[in-house]
Amino acid sequence: MAKRCEDLALSLRWGGVASFAATEARVQLHEWLAVVTGSLVQGALLVFVWVWAPGLLSYALIGALSYSVFLVGQRVLNEAAYIRVDHKLNELFHASNLSPESYFLGMALGILLAYMPPMLFLLAFLEILHPLSALAMATLVATLLAVWAFSSALGYSVSTVFKDMKTIWPYSSLLTNLFGIVPPVFYPLQYFDATLRPVAMLVPTSSSVALVENAAGMQALAPAETILGTVSLAVEAVILLAFGIYMARRAAREG
Amino acid sequence: MLRVRLSVSVEALSAVEVRKTYHTRGQTPVEALRGVSMTLRKGERIALLGRNGAGKTTFLRISSTLLLPTSGSLEVFGSDVIAHPEQVRPLIAVVPQEGKPFFHLTPREQIYAYLRARGVDREPAKASVSEALGQMGLEAVADRLSVTLSGGQKQRVMVATVIATKAPLLFLDEPTIGMDPFARREVWESLRRLTVQGSTILLTTHYLDEAESLSQRLYVIEDGRVLVEGTASAIKQQVGGSLKVSVANGESLREQLSSFGEIVSDGGTIHLITSPERINDIMAIAMKAGISATVGPVTLEEAFLRIVGRSIHGEEV
Repeated sequence: MAKRCEDLALSLRWGGVASFAATEARVQLHEWLAVVTGSLVQGALLVFVWVWAPGLLSYALIGALSYSVFLVGQRVLNEAAYIRVDHKLNELFHASNLSPESYFLGMALGILLAYMPPMLFLLAFLEILHPLSALAMATLVATLLAVWAFSSALGYSVSTVFKDMKTIWPYSSLLTNLFGIVPPVFYPLQYFDATLRPVAMLVPTSSSVALVENAAGMQALAPAETILGTVSLAVEAVILLAFGIYMARRAAREG
Repeated sequence: MLRVRLSVSVEALSAVEVRKTYHTRGQTPVEALRGVSMTLRKGERIALLGRNGAGKTTFLRISSTLLLPTSGSLEVFGSDVIAHPEQVRPLIAVVPQEGKPFFHLTPREQIYAYLRARGVDREPAKASVSEALGQMGLEAVADRLSVTLSGGQKQRVMVATVIATKAPLLFLDEPTIGMDPFARREVWESLRRLTVQGSTILLTTHYLDEAESLSQRLYVIEDGRVLVEGTASAIKQQVGGSLKVSVANGESLREQLSSFGEIVSDGGTIHLITSPERINDIMAIAMKAGISATVGPVTLEEAFLRIVGRSIHGEEV
């Protein structure tokens, strides 16, 4: 009962988020080569699009940004699991005044910060190819933050379930392909089957790309699609974030 | 009110009838703890001794808010561990079993980052980092990535991280595992110093010399129960005496000597644990038979083996 009260408590404790984010960013940046190589998949896909359909490169760049932010969440999955399963460092932090939600959000924020340079490079490239209006830029930032919240919470929640790294790896790969490659992320929404377009607007990565492209005048969404994409992205981000905090609290003390 | 405050300040940890049963689908439930009670007074160093799977780590994880018990109650400095872990966590620090530092941080960065995450200000954190690195003999490797350190050095980083907090209650799960004898003694010295400064320490260990040298009281745990509690010398007394007589090729004297205490055979040698006042009679029997006998103190290891062994064989302890 007491645990239930703890899990459902509405009061959140954020002290230590910034310092743990700085720690996590430093951990990641000490492995700067992994940051570089971790961004090569997007580069390879961009080369593929450039060769096959150079006119779609701007679309693919927006997709690469959304995909990069989604990958942050998958890195949260791997990092949280690695720290817990292999290093047991989660116990060091959980048995301290750093709250479980600060631990989770600090980790997600730190990894986002570490992987920011490759994303800024993609953004600069996009600005050269297709300069974004203020509205499009604001839409890009807002939707990418929503994708980050969704993906980080999903990654952290999945990481708490498994007991060994080998079991986790396939799930990370599955989620990346399911959210980053299959839906219209690297290619425009109009190439997607018309009957499946509402589904694409429910997937955070593809809806964020479609909303940015719509705001940038690169493709036109129907008003209903814009509403569906905006509402679903916001709701999914908030729900997943709340669920991630719940799972972080649960994981801080095993039952 | 004053009485409550006094009791809070004296007891660092109070555990009453703590039980933990692990349920795994399709498997028989495992009772890891079967009613463990203990009290740690402020400033004490206490060791939990037991075989692998005895329940030591389970108890330590429950006490440090990392695991929920099935039943029982625990308080840390008067705060309820089960209902209010958030009140307990600022007061404790834990070295987890088989814990490793961040491989891609240096020891200095790791300790500093941990203190900052706990809310320690920059300057005091820096001072505590230097002090902890010095205490653990890590200055020479303080700015190398932990991934390049030896296993023993990594373990020292973990201990340094926790002692740097100067938390009122420290939980250390096999803190010196993998360390060389010199490093172990440095850890012991640091832990002694911390308790002099007011911290309380609960540790688990497989090293009986560590338990005896470092802790003021011991709890011997077997099969989820506390078998014996007390000082090392008191526990050694509980096995029937403070001295051990070893008689080489003494099997022929087994019957004559059996009235002096419990006899254990080890190859052709028999060992008899007894009290000092009976030594002369035993030696007289051995000399009369022309057999040499040696006398020495009972070690904690012998006491441990006998106490746990008797428990395993179902005899009353």
